[in-house]
Amino acid sequence: MHNKPMDKSKLLAIGDRFRIYILFLVIFIFMSLFAPRFFNSYNLTTILRTVSMNATLALGFSVVMICGHLDLSIGRTATFAAVIALLLQKSVGYGLSVPIAIAAGVLVGLVNGLLVVKVKINSFIVTIGTMTILQGATYTMTGGNSVSLSGSNVFAISDFLSRPLLPMLPPRVILTILFVLLFHFFVTHTQWGRNFYLLGGNKMTAWLAGIHTDAVTVSAFILSSTMAAVGGILFAMESSAATLNMGENSLMYVVSATIIGGTAMSGGKGGVLKSVIAILSLEMLYTGTILFGLGNEVKIFISGLILAFVVLYEAYASYKHERTLGQRSELLKEVAMLKARVPK
Amino acid sequence: MNRTIDTDTRALRTNRFSAIMNSVGVYAIALLFLLLGMLLQGVGVINNFMTTQNLMNIVDAVALLGIVAAGMAFITYSGHYADMSVPTTIALTGIVSVELLRFGFFFAMAGAILCGILIGLINGIVVGKFKANPIIWTLAMNYVSLGIIRFVWVNKQIYPDVITDNVRAVMLFDNIYRFRLFNVLSLPLILMLILVAAGQFILKRTPYGAQLKLTGSARRTARFTGINVEMIVASAYVISAFTTTVAGLAITSLSRVGAWYNGAGYDFRAVTAIVIGGMTLAGGRGSIVGVLGGTLVIGLMNNIMTLLGIGTFSQDIIRGAIFILVVGINAKTLRSQGRDDA
Repeated sequence: MHNKPMDKSKLLAIGDRFRIYILFLVIFIFMSLFAPRFFNSYNLTTILRTVSMNATLALGFSVVMICGHLDLSIGRTATFAAVIALLLQKSVGYGLSVPIAIAAGVLVGLVNGLLVVKVKINSFIVTIGTMTILQGATYTMTGGNSVSLSGSNVFAISDFLSRPLLPMLPPRVILTILFVLLFHFFVTHTQWGRNFYLLGGNKMTAWLAGIHTDAVTVSAFILSSTMAAVGGILFAMESSAATLNMGENSLMYVVSATIIGGTAMSGGKGGVLKSVIAILSLEMLYTGTILFGLGNEVKIFISGLILAFVVLYEAYASYKHERTLGQRSELLKEVAMLKARVPK
Repeated sequence: MNRTIDTDTRALRTNRFSAIMNSVGVYAIALLFLLLGMLLQGVGVINNFMTTQNLMNIVDAVALLGIVAAGMAFITYSGHYADMSVPTTIALTGIVSVELLRFGFFFAMAGAILCGILIGLINGIVVGKFKANPIIWTLAMNYVSLGIIRFVWVNKQIYPDVITDNVRAVMLFDNIYRFRLFNVLSLPLILMLILVAAGQFILKRTPYGAQLKLTGSARRTARFTGINVEMIVASAYVISAFTTTVAGLAITSLSRVGAWYNGAGYDFRAVTAIVIGGMTLAGGRGSIVGVLGGTLVIGLMNNIMTLLGIGTFSQDIIRGAIFILVVGINAKTLRSQGRDDA
């Protein structure tokens, strides 16, 4: 008699755990069946290429969120690093400009992390500040214009990055997949990676367990900014150009995708792979809306709504959880059953 | 036993110096900036600082920012950091008012204020009742309103005089920003002074202000004392949305166009003004008068930087650095005084 409801709740729990994979399949099948010109190798390659920047950003962002923090500066960091890489390319070439740009990303993360753990300012307040600084720096460096490069060697690199090496997989996508696998392995199979979960779940426990919580937090912020920089640089190298708002919308996409993917804002839950799958699902949805003939405005509208819905859902779930905290549902059910049996 | 009492009194003792610093200190900083401006003009680095026109420009800019900050301070005071949906609330209410101008001036005002309060109400319910992360939620709300604007008004900029032939309504709308009492006091300035006075009174002299303070400093405790915490937080968001709408109307009247980019930058500038004004992001501390001082500092700083020829973009760097610095110093002092365990 008890088994049936137990099974149902178990099934629900499993469904909730794998919800992002289910969502992914549903969107993929729906779009393949109904959206015109969706299921062909050209479109799918385009989707993979489009997501690779946001997917790279989502890797680091998820790690910060698993730690129970937020990094709102990722979008601007991506633009900042991309602009540095392109501007310096003119004088020193990619060989030196890319490492410098990545170093800039590392520096941003270090500053964010130190401000969070040493000065103990809330992470989103810190990153709102650095976001503004980075925006100012980017605009000052470029004078408010977008940056573009030309020249045969530059175009050779962007051609190399975007031309499929394997079927449907240009080097940039392959790189992104490598990053994803690396991060997934790092977060799930190494001690340092698993420390992120422990830290996000309960900071005090983590500290008592002998984890250097400050170092772990700072490393999370460094990973986040570095991946943001790498994502921005690769995007800029592929198109040989950087616009000043290229990273701006990424924040919205990445935040929604990470939460849809099941990484809780309270920390300690989720995974990088799930965030990437969520990014992929969202991009398929957006591509679908464009293929159905709806404009870019609709895309902005939908993505805003999705973010709002996701944040609301997450908040509502934790609100419900908090209300029923400590209640034992099976006992309540038994009481209800007993009450029903008692004749009036 | 003695020791615990010691720490307790240390936590409760009001440090007179810091209290004075908190309320007056920011005005001293503003005065310093004013002196700096005069000094720079005396040396000859900048000119046109001490002209009537320039000082009036500063006051007008301060008025707009002050209106936003006076409302947003309620959110900060309630312990919810900031309202990131300010930019598109300004834009959306501006557009709505211009769009409704065809039905008459007062209808347009009422419609815009209703729209703004609706946004505030949604924010308040989601953050207050469901405890969504205030920054992320209001950011999401910002994108949603932006989406609505882009969806309904597809990149169009709408002009009051194109929307309607009603000359009187257009003139009234233009005068929201341009009306000057005795040719000096602009309407936004008057509105700001009224809002600041009202805000200060509400925060410091009413039961509601006390409830807000307790909610901001210790939400659970506030709940257990029987305060309807959800209502209090929601009301803070509605107040913020209301003043934002007022600012939105003034800004739209200033630019004579309703467009999606109208409020850009006001969110961050308002938070900076609030923290410079001595309101801590942890909630429950500070005053609206202090926030007005913070706004003055921001206004003077922006003006001097512009006169010095520092570009708008580079000003962002300085503003961001000052923001982090002030928040950091604030957090550090409170901790060292034993008044904050954050």
